[in-house]
Amino acid sequence: MKRFLTLFATLHLICATAMTTFAADGNVTYSGDAGEFIFAPGSDYSPTDLFPNFKDVMPGDSITQKITVRNDASNKVKVKIYMRSLGAHEDGESPDFLSQMNLRVEKSEDNTMAYMFDAAANETAQLTDWVCLGTLYSGGEVNLNVILDVPEEMDNNYAHKEGYLDWEFMIEEFPIERDDPKTGDDADMTLWVAMTVAAALVIVIWFIWRKKGQKKEEQNI
Amino acid sequence: MRKIKLKFTAIALMAIVITLLSQESLAYYSTFGRATNVVTSGNISFEIHERTDQGTEFPEEGVYIMPGDIVSKQVSIENICTHPFYIRVKILYGVNSEVLTSEDCFALNINREDWTEHDGWFYYNGIVNPGETTPLVFSEVEIVGEKVDNSYLGKTLTLTVSADAVQSENNPASAPWEASGWPKEEEGM
Repeated sequence: MKRFLTLFATLHLICATAMTTFAADGNVTYSGDAGEFIFAPGSDYSPTDLFPNFKDVMPGDSITQKITVRNDASNKVKVKIYMRSLGAHEDGESPDFLSQMNLRVEKSEDNTMAYMFDAAANETAQLTDWVCLGTLYSGGEVNLNVILDVPEEMDNNYAHKEGYLDWEFMIEEFPIERDDPKTGDDADMTLWVAMTVAAALVIVIWFIWRKKGQKKEEQNI
Repeated sequence: MRKIKLKFTAIALMAIVITLLSQESLAYYSTFGRATNVVTSGNISFEIHERTDQGTEFPEEGVYIMPGDIVSKQVSIENICTHPFYIRVKILYGVNSEVLTSEDCFALNINREDWTEHDGWFYYNGIVNPGETTPLVFSEVEIVGEKVDNSYLGKTLTLTVSADAVQSENNPASAPWEASGWPKEEEGM
């Protein structure tokens, strides 16, 4: 009986832990091959939704959404990634509903209290213009913490509402330069293949030239 | 000999050109992507269950009563949303007569172990979690014989159960009636 109780307690603890780690992250991935951004996880409301944690929010909630912005382009390039906010969709209930809540955005690596964005959720505020998130090499990433504060005073008029908020991302690709730090697997296959072919050709030519030289010598003798 | 040297130079040049071309394909490039993010708010909702001791729903059209009858009416509240809440109920009495009153016509066996009366409301002592149903508020209604006399013959007596709920998340309270957000009397009724 004691074992059963212990097992039950352990299982319960595992379940409880799993519950807390199930909070989903948002992901913005720049795929160099496709030349486009891939947004995940999406939701029933929008296929490009980065806010899975901001569903079914209640007055008094303060919820954090982690978003990872990643460069998955090839290692021949580095990219500068920018973002900006276009604010709430103007139609429907979005502007009024989102104006009730406060949104903060910070780069988690910075570990400072200086937020890139700190305003009502419907506004564009500090993200009206493009803000550079950083220069990323292949495989590099930037982590954002987005914090949504729902005031306790938000009343029944705002129950069961939906608010749509657009963010835009932009990249600029630059070739890797000599002084750039090396990241990931930097083997340039095209270059190596070209060099191998050239080297093989040189050997073949040298071999032919040498054989012809030997023949000439023999004829002279 | 000179011919071979020329060939060698041409091939070497080609190799250099191929190598350079593979580098030349990297041009400056930019692209955009738009994410439409969505925030949704929750709500709380509940269902009032009124059943008989036979396990059937209490008839909406009501039941015929006689003075002294004890009618089985089991009232409970079910949380049908994804958020926990505090709940309170109020019991209202009525009669379709201008001269008669329904006051004291009914005697209810209120479950005072789980429900506490405060300012005319019965507050559930705990929190109702998603999917849970409260213990019964009451289970029987007695038609008080001393009050319901012949003057009530043919009249309709009504007993209405009304309920309010308020979220318990981010809303700590020493007692349910101390929680924030209860609708004011005019709003709630």
